[in-house]
Amino acid sequence: MDYDSQLKLQALLDGELPEVEASKVAQWLARDPEAAALSEELRNTRAALAGFETGIQLPESREFFWSKVQRDIQRVETPATKPASMPLYALLRRFLVPASALALVVIAGVVLTRPGPSGLTPAAEIETALADSGAFTYRDYSAGATLVWLSYPADTEIADNDEMGTVE
Amino acid sequence: MRAKLTAATGLLWVSTALVLLACAEIRMQAADMKFQAFLLWGTDDNKPPEGKAYKPVDPEISKKLKDLPLKWAHWFEVNQVAFAVSPGATKEVPISEKCQLNVKQLAGPEVEVSLVGKGKEVVKRKQSLPKGEMLVLGGNAPNSTAWLVLLKRIE
Repeated sequence: MDYDSQLKLQALLDGELPEVEASKVAQWLARDPEAAALSEELRNTRAALAGFETGIQLPESREFFWSKVQRDIQRVETPATKPASMPLYALLRRFLVPASALALVVIAGVVLTRPGPSGLTPAAEIETALADSGAFTYRDYSAGATLVWLSYPADTEIADNDEMGTVE
Repeated sequence: MRAKLTAATGLLWVSTALVLLACAEIRMQAADMKFQAFLLWGTDDNKPPEGKAYKPVDPEISKKLKDLPLKWAHWFEVNQVAFAVSPGATKEVPISEKCQLNVKQLAGPEVEVSLVGKGKEVVKRKQSLPKGEMLVLGGNAPNSTAWLVLLKRIE
């Protein structure tokens, strides 16, 4: 039995043949026991399969189920988006915020530690007038002391019998 | 949105600058300076002259005097005066009958100090005198002794 003949038997079983051809195939089926055996086998097979073709009931609508599948496919196929490049303003802001804080600290330090209006630093000192030409000055920074040694009173003013007499 | 942010940043900067200026101004508004002035007598003897009840100088001052190039071993306190000077004002402080100290408060830690002996200005000096520091004016006295006028800023 050739392949076309087998297909015609299948078509007869499925009721897909025109009436004239169906009667011819039926007559052939009645004459040929091999064809009859194949037809019987096909009929049994279809009957057996018919019991297993009940549709699977989804807990959700068909559209919703397939939309989920579609979304999953899209999610898998979509390449990981590369992070958006940071705008220049954001970059500047990231730099300017710590820089501003640092500048603020520096300005505060400068403003709060600057010398007085005269421009003198704390250690600066000026001798404005010194009537005593024989005087000398010694500065001890560690002790925080300035010594000005004067020739006052003049030796001629010192009376040996008058200790502290020149100042007391 | 960005314009608002920029304006807010500008406002913040201006506020910060104003606060800093205010702080600086407050800091620059000088308060009264407080001083202690001492008249000291230096000798190699370990006792004051006869008939004088001078007490030994304060140990802290004695220690500082030892750091200075002064040859005398013992210092006695003849007189001590505490006083305050207002900003811009001059204070005349008699240290003894013959000796007077004039102290003027200048800007910042600066002071102008003049020593007057027997009515005559011996020295006039302008210098920075931060808290805790001292200015020592001195000279020779009879019998190989010495006198010092020590001005110490307390506050």
